[in-house]
Amino acid sequence: MGVMFSREHILSAFSAAAPIMLGYVAIGLPCGILSNTIGLNPLQVFLLCALLYSGAGQFMICNMFLAGSSVASITASVSLVNTRQMLYAASFAPTCEKTPRWLAALFAASVTDESYGVNTQHFAEGNWSVDRALMVNLFSQSSWTISNVVGCAVGAAVAIPVNIAAFAMTAIFICLLVTQKFTSANIIAMAVAALGVYVCKAAGLTGPAILIGAVAGVVCAMVFALTVGKRGATTANAPAAVGAAAEGARSADVAAEVPSTEAVPMEDAAGEGERR
Amino acid sequence: MSWDQFWVVLVGCVLAMWACRVIPLFLLKGKALPENLERALGFIPPAAFAALVANDLLNPGMFDAGIWPAAIPLVAAIACALVAAKTKSLLWTAVAGVGVYAALAFFAV
Repeated sequence: MGVMFSREHILSAFSAAAPIMLGYVAIGLPCGILSNTIGLNPLQVFLLCALLYSGAGQFMICNMFLAGSSVASITASVSLVNTRQMLYAASFAPTCEKTPRWLAALFAASVTDESYGVNTQHFAEGNWSVDRALMVNLFSQSSWTISNVVGCAVGAAVAIPVNIAAFAMTAIFICLLVTQKFTSANIIAMAVAALGVYVCKAAGLTGPAILIGAVAGVVCAMVFALTVGKRGATTANAPAAVGAAAEGARSADVAAEVPSTEAVPMEDAAGEGERR
Repeated sequence: MSWDQFWVVLVGCVLAMWACRVIPLFLLKGKALPENLERALGFIPPAAFAALVANDLLNPGMFDAGIWPAAIPLVAAIACALVAAKTKSLLWTAVAGVGVYAALAFFAV
């Protein structure tokens, strides 16, 4: 694993963080400019970046304030959108098993959607460690903070089309999605999550849409994996997804090795999954 | 936004954010996780990225203003997916995505 925070670790963390850092320049500048238009000064923008460190959150603060929302409703909405961070923290728990408390806390406090994706990828490939993951977070945060403060300082002197710049982040999410393993259980997780987000938005639940969608995806994939068993979850490929799901319904009856007491909650969960 | 308003938003959002980012890690850390929980945690990445992409690309009523404005990000997203599958590079995907998006927006107007 090598020495923590060694030169080698710093360099590998930097090259892993580079795409995020460039993306954060692209969206950090417009975010800083927008912050300037609601009357925030560079010091306030710096505090937001250093402590809150949330792209979606900081854009929301500006947009909602411009729309005349109250301070309480801004705080509540931003917090609701950021609840998805709980999933990331939970998923890093096994990784941080033997990590010192301070390092784990610092790392967890600086996770974002993008750095979560990059670090997950590197942990999955192996030869990665929490100190490098923390440095990926901190490099990214530096880029985000500098871009925001610069954007706020120059203000509206520069016109950047925000929707085009913001697409850099969407592109990063697409890349992280496309590079996932396309097992049938994962495909179910993806499809249900995307559908869940759309349904939430249609129902007016824009704030918690990402969290609800993602949790629905995890639950349905889990139900599928439990019903079909490891065989279906690990070996089936994309076109086999539908067939495997149908097969799963049959094999649930045949799964004699599963004690009947466990089969009952599984049935319940399956019903829940279908209702969604 | 006044300093008073700013402090309320900052402190409120930061406390909620830190709670979400740090508490689950320490609740689960140091325990031998049941196999099924570990499996469920493994489904978080595909579900979360699909949710984030859907959140950026899909909106109810997105085609109300005509097909083209809403189709630009979708076409750019397809370009991203192709580049991502080919290169597996975050950087190239971001460059391709923003490039295609900007080109489409430029020629569409």
